[in-house]
Amino acid sequence: MLRRRTRIEIPEFYVGSVLAVTVSDPQAPGKTSRFVGICILREGHGLRATMTLRNAIDQQGVEICYPLYNPTLQKIEVLRLEKRLDEDLRYLRDCPLEYSTFAFDMEPEHAADSGEVPVNPVKVPLRPRPWTWRWERAGMKGLIVPELREDFYERAKKVSEPWHKYDLMREYRRSVPVEDQREIYAEVHEHVQSLETDQRRVRRRRVFVAPKKTS
Amino acid sequence: MNWCRSVQSLVKSAFSGKIRQESSNYAQLRYMSRVKSRHTAPRHFWMKKERARYPEELSSENEAFLREVVSDRYESPLRHHPPAAPLAYTPGVRRCGLVARKIAVQPIWLSNGKYVNTTLLHVADNHVVGYVPPEMLNQNEVVRRRWKEQYRPLAGLVVGADQEDPTKFTKEYANMFLEAGIMPTKKLTRFTISPEAALAPGTRLRATHFQVGDYVDVYAKTRERGFQGVMKRWGFAGQPATHGATKTHRRPGGIGSGAQKSRVWPGQKMPGHMGGQYRNLRGLKILRINTKHDIIYVLGHAVPGDHNDYVLIHDTVLPLRRRKEPGTVITDEEAAQLPEDIFHPDVHQMAAPSIVF
Repeated sequence: MLRRRTRIEIPEFYVGSVLAVTVSDPQAPGKTSRFVGICILREGHGLRATMTLRNAIDQQGVEICYPLYNPTLQKIEVLRLEKRLDEDLRYLRDCPLEYSTFAFDMEPEHAADSGEVPVNPVKVPLRPRPWTWRWERAGMKGLIVPELREDFYERAKKVSEPWHKYDLMREYRRSVPVEDQREIYAEVHEHVQSLETDQRRVRRRRVFVAPKKTS
Repeated sequence: MNWCRSVQSLVKSAFSGKIRQESSNYAQLRYMSRVKSRHTAPRHFWMKKERARYPEELSSENEAFLREVVSDRYESPLRHHPPAAPLAYTPGVRRCGLVARKIAVQPIWLSNGKYVNTTLLHVADNHVVGYVPPEMLNQNEVVRRRWKEQYRPLAGLVVGADQEDPTKFTKEYANMFLEAGIMPTKKLTRFTISPEAALAPGTRLRATHFQVGDYVDVYAKTRERGFQGVMKRWGFAGQPATHGATKTHRRPGGIGSGAQKSRVWPGQKMPGHMGGQYRNLRGLKILRINTKHDIIYVLGHAVPGDHNDYVLIHDTVLPLRRRKEPGTVITDEEAAQLPEDIFHPDVHQMAAPSIVF
């Protein structure tokens, strides 16, 4: 993973950020294809880590899942770095397409380096039913669920599992404990330092524009 | 006396699992769904391997003394080290395999952008424990039959993996390892080899026994699934979930085969114990070898067994996957100079630039 990161910069991004990914594709003209989209999902660990980008092209929703360490990825740019109220934006599939549409020629938006990632508190409305999921049960904070019949909520209450929030072992299995995190960061620290200096050097090189003769 | 003949044929074909039933105008060949060879306890004629552990209440000095005795015996510089006799692959010669542990399943990208899964097999601490000459191997009826089919004498090479503290084993078991000069091993297995491929006892076997690009066969015990029903065990279709099916959704249904037989055939597929059987997986390609930790990356994720289970690896028997040119001999000095990771040319190395078409 660290060896792959010496070849491509995998920037910091979260679910809700808008990314542009350039992939080498044998069938595309120019052998590369670029896709812009909002990251709706991040799954997997290690070499199997993936991200799913969503966009609406010609009134058709399109989602592409990219393995982050796939060697055919040439470039990953973060056009808008922000977080949303949820860690999973799959509800955008049942929302009006305007909330999933991002222009392909979108310019990268540089936020002031305040150190904290801005959280977009937008609440997205749903299209009328049928939906791909029972959103009235999902408890998504960034979603406006319309009022449904009483029996929907009764059934939701019957199948709900409210004890999950007290399940410590479940949380332990889902996340990496702090002690292990410290170990991992200590191992990765020296590599990350050298990587960051290399990337900063490369970024500065790119920004430099040679002066043109005016006369 | 039809039933008499059928019983005789059953006994004769116990190993192959085939049952030939001849009656009236036709001969029907029925295969036993599986040959039951599960043994949960060691056979009575095997020697005892582990000794009964009881609290001996040794003083700390005595315990330290025992550890010293063990280390003197096995780590003494005066101990005879047999020359590392490297054995490269030679077409026509059957050589021994390796005992490995299945440790992980990791993805690998190929240079054409394809994503594949590879199983990591860790070859830990393999030593040749002994050689079984053809005359001794010939005493086994099963081997003799196979030998006759191949028209050449076969020998055996006993390989042990994962050395352990000798105080845990019985004297009888530990004495098997005297010739090799190693501590008794947890896992002991025998590979059938050509007599030309014999190795001296005590030879250390490493992952470089194979080369990247070789095809290997893997022999391991499948995962235990316990008592399973007929749908999972034999792939029966079951019955409909609705449309009036009364209390019958995952049952075998009918087990008879008609009025003529008036009985159930032996080998009728029924629920029972599933898993925990030795199986062969043939023709797996080696994509990468880590020489530092002795790990073989094999293409595919269907290697039988659970995490850390033992797996036997040997050159493939598939005729179209066998290499025609002999392998290169790697001595100990050369092995020390090999790079840590040897990749197949088809594999994309992460340190290399991104794939461009």
